[in-house]
Amino acid sequence: MDKPNKNQPVSRRTFFGDTLRTLSALGLGSLVGFGARKATSEELVWQLDPDKCVQCGQCATECVLDPSAVKCVHAFDVCGYCKLCGGYFKPDAKSLDTAAENQLCPTGALIRKFVEDPYYEYTIDESLCIGCAKCVKGCGAFGNGSLHLQVRHDCCVNCNECSIAKACPSNAFQRVPASKPYLYRGVQRKDFYPEK
Amino acid sequence: MLLKNKTILLTIFIIMNLASAAQLFGIERFPRPQFESDYQQPRMTSPDPRAATYEYIDIAALLAALSVTTFLILKKRSRRGVFVMMLLSIAYFGFWRKGCVCSVGSIQNVAYALANPDYAIPISVIVFFILPLVFSLFFGRTFCAGVCPLGAIQDVVILKPQRIPLWLNHMLRGIPFLYLGIAVLAAVTGSMFLICRFDPFIALYRMGGDWGMVSFGVALLLVGVFIARPYCRFLCPYGVLLGWLSKFSKYHASITPDECIQCKLCETSCPFEAIDVPVTEKPVESQTVARRRLAIILIVMPVFMLLGGWIGSHLNKPLSRLHPTVRLAEQVNNENAGRIYETTIYSRTFRASGETMEQLMAEVRQIEHKYKIGGWWLGMFLATAAGMALINLSRRRRQTIYETNHTHCLSCGRCFDYCPRHHALKGDLVQT
Amino acid sequence: MEQNKTSQELDRRNFIVRGGQRIAAFVLGLIGASLLPGQKQRALATSTPQTQPKRKVENPWEYDLESLKKIDPALITYEEIESIPAEQEKVTALALDDSGTLYIGGDKGVRVITDKTSKRWVQLPQAPACLAIDTNGDIFVGLKDMIVVYDKKGTKKTEFHSMGESSYLTSIAIGIDDVFVADAGNRVVWRMNKAGALLGQLGEKDERRHIPGLVIPSPYCDVALDQNGLLWVVNTGRHAFEQYKPDGTLVKRWEKTSVKIDGFSGCCNPTHMAILPDGAFVTAEKGLERIKIHETDGTFRTVVAAPSQFKEGTVGLDLAVNKQGRIFVLDPSQKTARVFEKK
Ligand code: SF4
Ligand code: SF4
Ligand code: SF4
Ligand code: SF4
Repeated sequence: MDKPNKNQPVSRRTFFGDTLRTLSALGLGSLVGFGARKATSEELVWQLDPDKCVQCGQCATECVLDPSAVKCVHAFDVCGYCKLCGGYFKPDAKSLDTAAENQLCPTGALIRKFVEDPYYEYTIDESLCIGCAKCVKGCGAFGNGSLHLQVRHDCCVNCNECSIAKACPSNAFQRVPASKPYLYRGVQRKDFYPEK
Repeated sequence: MLLKNKTILLTIFIIMNLASAAQLFGIERFPRPQFESDYQQPRMTSPDPRAATYEYIDIAALLAALSVTTFLILKKRSRRGVFVMMLLSIAYFGFWRKGCVCSVGSIQNVAYALANPDYAIPISVIVFFILPLVFSLFFGRTFCAGVCPLGAIQDVVILKPQRIPLWLNHMLRGIPFLYLGIAVLAAVTGSMFLICRFDPFIALYRMGGDWGMVSFGVALLLVGVFIARPYCRFLCPYGVLLGWLSKFSKYHASITPDECIQCKLCETSCPFEAIDVPVTEKPVESQTVARRRLAIILIVMPVFMLLGGWIGSHLNKPLSRLHPTVRLAEQVNNENAGRIYETTIYSRTFRASGETMEQLMAEVRQIEHKYKIGGWWLGMFLATAAGMALINLSRRRRQTIYETNHTHCLSCGRCFDYCPRHHALKGDLVQT
Repeated sequence: MEQNKTSQELDRRNFIVRGGQRIAAFVLGLIGASLLPGQKQRALATSTPQTQPKRKVENPWEYDLESLKKIDPALITYEEIESIPAEQEKVTALALDDSGTLYIGGDKGVRVITDKTSKRWVQLPQAPACLAIDTNGDIFVGLKDMIVVYDKKGTKKTEFHSMGESSYLTSIAIGIDDVFVADAGNRVVWRMNKAGALLGQLGEKDERRHIPGLVIPSPYCDVALDQNGLLWVVNTGRHAFEQYKPDGTLVKRWEKTSVKIDGFSGCCNPTHMAILPDGAFVTAEKGLERIKIHETDGTFRTVVAAPSQFKEGTVGLDLAVNKQGRIFVLDPSQKTARVFEKK
């Protein structure tokens, strides 16, 4: 169409053009073919494995979003409902009440509610949580490890390569199928079960 | 083959479900306290990822945007239409979908999938990678014109395009090759997705992000007021692929709708300096001299490629620093040798993990080995690219009209308006 | 190819200049790549550092447990004298008998170590959760929800019946006639006879008898008998030690919550406990991995081992004490039994 010599029967140039075009098409085709063999129809999303996480705090700072798409979640099944919650209280808390200076969470995202003596329920206000993992570390060290981090998919924009994944010192991030987007802790915690 | 794949997938699916069932029922968990009050334990909420819902919408949007843009360029010859497409792309692929996954970045997914058998690549990513290339092979870079959100955001700020010196232009056009080569190498070795990490505009689309990248994006846009689409022309690795395919494209946008009357009106109309001008003067050099030079280049090429490969493979140590494990090993080594006195989160985690230094170094050597092989390819690729540039230089051009350069033309449609034939055909010559 | 009006057709000069530009770009690219730093730092360090690397906290949110783990060295009055490898993949329980033979439960069995040269292996159907040895040498093994008794040689004698779905056995104490079994899942201590008949239960909340009730948030609840045949139960959720008569009457209790050295912190500590010949308690904690000794009334006496002596995150430091007052600590991270003695 735009070739200057389009009126000539088959010039060398058009011949070259056609050949190269065919070759490129073949190349692209084989790439697609190869890709299709390894393809999954399932979209992949990022998730972190709470059993690998070492609570380094990078989740709060490395996410492309601010606040981070990683939030603390609570596996209630595993929680001890402790009065002295290692995730809620600073180690040197003066009294076991909800005064801000006793709380470990820098944003006050953990909410403590009395259930019955001596049990308390802990829930997370995800709109406040910045995913800093302080409470996770406290709960893991002193409690049952029921508080843990997860990428919350209502926030996450599903970066092609999650920027926390590359910053995570324990390689806790992985791609998971979008139909099973969470790796909750709880039912499968190994270290609770000597026989496992 | 297909059937076999399906069976495998099905089996995996069943196993996965069995596994999760085992997790749910097989293993007893430590029972929580038995409350006397009628306490209701809250349920954990699991909001669904958006990715799953948008997958097919995105593919449809991409196909539609490519088709419409191509139609607007090739049939309608409407710059205004392309401009509207750009705005739509900025709105949808940019601000709404927040730029992920884009075709530019998908290069890495494909490269990573080629090298890592465990990574199954989502079909949507393959489509994002391949569709613009296929369109480019037939219709030129219409993707760049109206679909790519990175291109669009730069295109709308082109206010005072300046010509840059030819020599500088030539040198800068080499950068995308280097960027492409290194990015593919980084992806194949599992080091990082370089292109995503240094995507200058995604932070703007997400309206937030790392400060360095935000300022890089803003800087590029400021430069882009004077130097049209700097990222597209002097950085974009996907542009290299699009350019190759577009070079052979069957139906490419042309300045004039029918014939060039050599009015020279369009000569400087392209902000991307992608218009080739006719060869008018008599060749100053005899055919034989030119042929001989071409022959020499062709003969020297393999040597050149080998040299490039050799140099590339010897860059494996510095290049492998792109891999976090290598950087970790260096950090730990430096700490051990007393060269640095501050531990990082990475070195502390490594030490706490109980992995030995020997294991870490073994990993590092594996990565270096991958980079050695990758370095050969990288060097040969770059040498070939440079060699091809030389060959192109030595080829005799027989161009007689003003024409878009099929490699570099982004099919934006700006030059159409400069061509009197365009207006003649539209019948609006009077107004011009 | 990227011709512009400045140049039309090639002559030699033109070719050299423009070809040179392309080659220069290529070479510059390679040079640029090679300027990336970092060759020499990859060699393994041979010398040891003069200065200890400092900690660089680059993360404002990091929860630094290190400062809590610091213990004044003057308080540590024990030293490690031996470390006995368990030769098991995973270790879960440890016990000593009267003659000083060491029993380490783990994997699916119990390793019996009389001395370095004589070791035996008792195969079990499941991994043991807890162990105790009777004076006659019978091995009482607590599986998840039931007790199985083996004789000295490792032949099965009796199997008690299961304590139910939610049962989670964590400790066994053997008296003259009674066997006390701590069940963290049901939050009680079962009292049985040696044939496995249930005689009663201890530790349930009972306001009339002034029993506050066991609060067990995690699968740790240790029991031990003192010299008077009274049972001590660790009420981990309350950081308390409680002394019971076999009939379930609470005799006395003490409670000490503190992050400092003189008490226990976290949700459930101490996880393990053993009674020294003089009646004092040896305690092991999780979170801050430390072994301490408290007097019978709860007063802090001394430190046996500091957190720095354990790998971070170690849990399940089971304890046993021999007649000479040596303290045996099961270290699941190292998979050894570590022996401590007074300096
Ligand atoms: S970056 Fe990794 S280790 Fe750190 S808090 Fe996040 S998941 Fe845990
Ligand atoms: S401590 Fe950090 S991770 Fe935990 S709830 Fe607060 S902000 Fe979220
Ligand atoms: S994928 Fe992106 S948005 Fe999601 S957690 Fe990672 S960095 Fe944050
Ligand atoms: S269509 Fe656009 S890019 Fe192509 S030559 Fe014309 S102005 Fe330049």
